[in-house]
Amino acid sequence: MANTSRTLVTMPREAKKGEVIDIKVIVQHDMESGFRRTEQGGLIPRDIIRSFTCTYGGSEIFRAELHPGTGANPMIVFSTIATESGTLEFKWVGDNDYSSVATSVLTVV
Amino acid sequence: MTTRRQFVGVIAATGLLPLSDALATPDDAKAAIDKIVGSSFVKTGKVKLDIPPLVENGNLVAMKVSVDSPMTAIDFVKVIHIIAQGNPLPNIISFYLTNRSGRATIQSRIRLSESQRVVAIAQMSDGSFYQGFADTLVTLSACTEV
Repeated sequence: MANTSRTLVTMPREAKKGEVIDIKVIVQHDMESGFRRTEQGGLIPRDIIRSFTCTYGGSEIFRAELHPGTGANPMIVFSTIATESGTLEFKWVGDNDYSSVATSVLTVV
Repeated sequence: MTTRRQFVGVIAATGLLPLSDALATPDDAKAAIDKIVGSSFVKTGKVKLDIPPLVENGNLVAMKVSVDSPMTAIDFVKVIHIIAQGNPLPNIISFYLTNRSGRATIQSRIRLSESQRVVAIAQMSDGSFYQGFADTLVTLSACTEV
């Protein structure tokens, strides 16, 4: 079982065709930058989420590349056009085999 | 008896003083930007980067970037890169949009290690680059806490 954590996706369940909807995603992760030190002076190794991908009906609509400069528990708010009813899949991938997936169903009326 | 010199040496070795953790300079940021844009010319404008001008805690800074684009099937924003001039690493986060994004507005939360200028570079679907920036004053730096 890969290293995973809690995710939170906030988006409307229903939208009119052609409407632009906002999607807010948050994932629980420390985003250890690799620049912090312990009290003994040792460098804490980097452990971050590297990428986030969102697919809608199987095709990619948004992607983000994360670096240590991204805050802990990365939050991203982005948008998409509601084209057809379908499933949106959200995937986060990171260091140390980190991977989380969330899905959300959108009904277009 | 420990001399001051020895003491400073020990402190530096244990990393209590961040002597070796050089911060990125505007030159590093420029190198990161050059890597993104190559030889293309970057125009100023169209990109609006919103970061509070006074940041109390650099560990979590609300950020909003929006690009003036019609976001149609043939004219849209492809990528938005957020680049820091004063963080240990210039790259903060990059967003890859598509012609299905609808709006070229993204919100996120970033880390800032010192008062600095943050630059947003957007690449349009025709390959052209635009940039915008925000100047911030950071009172509590990220990457200092143990």
